[in-house]
Order: sequence, then structure tokens, then C-alpha cells
Amino acid sequence: MLEKPNKLRIALIAGVIMGVVSSTPGINLINCCCCAGIWLGGFLAMYFYKQQFTEGMMPLESSDALIVGLMSGVAAAFTATIIAVLILLILGPVEAEFIRSLMEKILDRLAENGSIPSDTVDQLREQFERSVKDSARISGVFGNLFVTLIIYPIFSILGALLGYAVFRPKHPPVPTPQA
Amino acid sequence: MEFNKRVYSIFLFLVAAWCGLIVAAPLLASYTQLTGVASQVYSLFSPICHQFDSRSFHIAGEKLGVCIRCSSIYFSFFASLALYPLFRRLESFTVPRIQWLILALMPMALDVMSNLTSIHLSTTVTRTISGIMFGGILPVFLFPPLVEALSQIRNRLTLRGGIFYARKAQ
Repeated sequence: MLEKPNKLRIALIAGVIMGVVSSTPGINLINCCCCAGIWLGGFLAMYFYKQQFTEGMMPLESSDALIVGLMSGVAAAFTATIIAVLILLILGPVEAEFIRSLMEKILDRLAENGSIPSDTVDQLREQFERSVKDSARISGVFGNLFVTLIIYPIFSILGALLGYAVFRPKHPPVPTPQA
Repeated sequence: MEFNKRVYSIFLFLVAAWCGLIVAAPLLASYTQLTGVASQVYSLFSPICHQFDSRSFHIAGEKLGVCIRCSSIYFSFFASLALYPLFRRLESFTVPRIQWLILALMPMALDVMSNLTSIHLSTTVTRTISGIMFGGILPVFLFPPLVEALSQIRNRLTLRGGIFYARKAQ
């Protein structure tokens, strides 16, 4: 039987996608829903990995999901941090002002629609200012990396396991013989 | 202890610890002088939750570590996991049909989308119920592949003469 596809490549691709989603202002709000972006990233990683399988290869197993989820979660944490630092270094205050004005427009529209209460709008503004200050400090960057290195792999693994539950082979693999 | 039971116990403990941290944040902020520690606990949850005051449960005047919806998901996940051995065998690697997961996810998806489009503003009740439905069904989809995965990894390590398990096998 042929060897299974390489996990690292798929994990890096899914991790980069997750990292970009997590560090792009506006889109990263999806992670406020119980880290939905990371769940979906893990799920996506399993989808990509399943697509790599061909006839004659060893079948997909749940341990593949666990490993792919873990690797893509770690990749996402580093990618999100690197992108955040790059944006800060390249654009610095210009980016912060641009994002601030964009956020104000979005918040005003959401408040007008009644989608979020006005005190929540103030809290969002506070959170944004705090994240801008944190991202400008090295300690903030490393602190964020430390937290995301814990959080992202956990939720990515869970998403990948859900992906396995959806994409698992109809005929389960023969269990690995015990020693 | 059987391997499956061991995995279940550890997983249950980790989930309990996670839920404990969610509750610990407001208790530390309200009843102790450890406001710095409470702040760190809130920071731990900040990447995964908006933590809006108006959309969080409160204990002793302080909000929980995560919002209403997230709290409902995590606590119902813990409750469902704690009751898991009563309605499923720990040795079973099968998962229910995916339609059940979609069914459990639909209320939350509808609640979020209808709130964003201002069709219907989500309330504490809708957030709680939709969170409970999603969190409650997750263990039956996550635990079997998790224990199967760990079992496969353990067997591979043992076959290849892995550090810990090979010694134990001997």
C-alpha cells in the first residue's frame, strides 16, 4: 500500500489561511464566535488532506486528523503573529488610523441597525484601542503568540476531528495491531 | 485503568478546568485581591470571545470569562461529556449521522445571522438555548475520533518501540 500524503504541506496551507483570517481586521471577528475561524480552519485542513488521498493509499485515520489539526493550529498561531507584526512594521500608525476609521464606520452602521447596543459599541472601541497598543509592544506580540499557541491548536484539533467525523471512510480502517 | 477510561478521565478533567477558569475570572476579580490574575484569565479568553459586558453572564457583579453563547457551549459540552458514559460506550468509535450536528448548529447559525442582518435581535434566551444545543451534541462527535486517534498513536509508538509504552509493554 502507498504511504499517506504529506501532512506538513496541508497543515501549512490551512494554517496560513487561518492565520490570515485571524489577523485581518474585520474578518477576524469570526473568531469571537467561539473561535469559529479556527474550527473551520481545522475542518478545512481535513478536507484538503482527504482530497490528497488516492486509490491504493493507506486509508484516512483519526490520528491523521489529530496531527493535521495540531500542526495547522501551530502554523496559524505563528502566521497570525507574523502578519500582525509585518502590518505594524510596514504601515505602523497609518494602518492603525485606516483601520480605526473603517472600524468606526462599521460600528456606526451596526449601532444604527440596532444589531449591537451602544454600550457594546464603546466596548468594541476600547478593545480596538487596547489591541493597537498591545500590538505596538514586543511584550504584547509575544504574549499574544503565547496565548494563541495554546488556543489555536486546541480548536484546530477539534475542528479537524469534526472534519474526520464528516469525511471518514465509509469502511473504517483496519485497527493497527497491538504489540 | 483501561486506556479509553483514562483518556475520558483526562479529557473530562481538562474540560472541567476550562469551565473552571471561565468561572474563576469573575470570582478572582470580586472576592480576592488578585485582580491582576483575574485580568490574565480574561486575557486568555480574549482571542476567542468578544467578552462584551452586556452579552455575558455575571457572578458577583463581574462578567464570566466568556460571553453568554460561549458559556452555554462550554458548560453544556462539559455536562454532556460528564453524562457521556451513561448513554454511550467509551470503547465505541462510531459517530452519529452528520445531519444531527447540522441540526444542532442551525439554531445558532440562524441566531447569529438574523442578528447581524437585524431581522431579529438575539436575546439571552436565544443565545443560551442555541449554545446549549451545539455544545451538548459535540462530545458524541468529538470524543470517539479523539480516543480512536490517541489509541492509534499509542499502538504505533508501542510497535515502533516508543519510549513510554514499549517499556510498559515489556
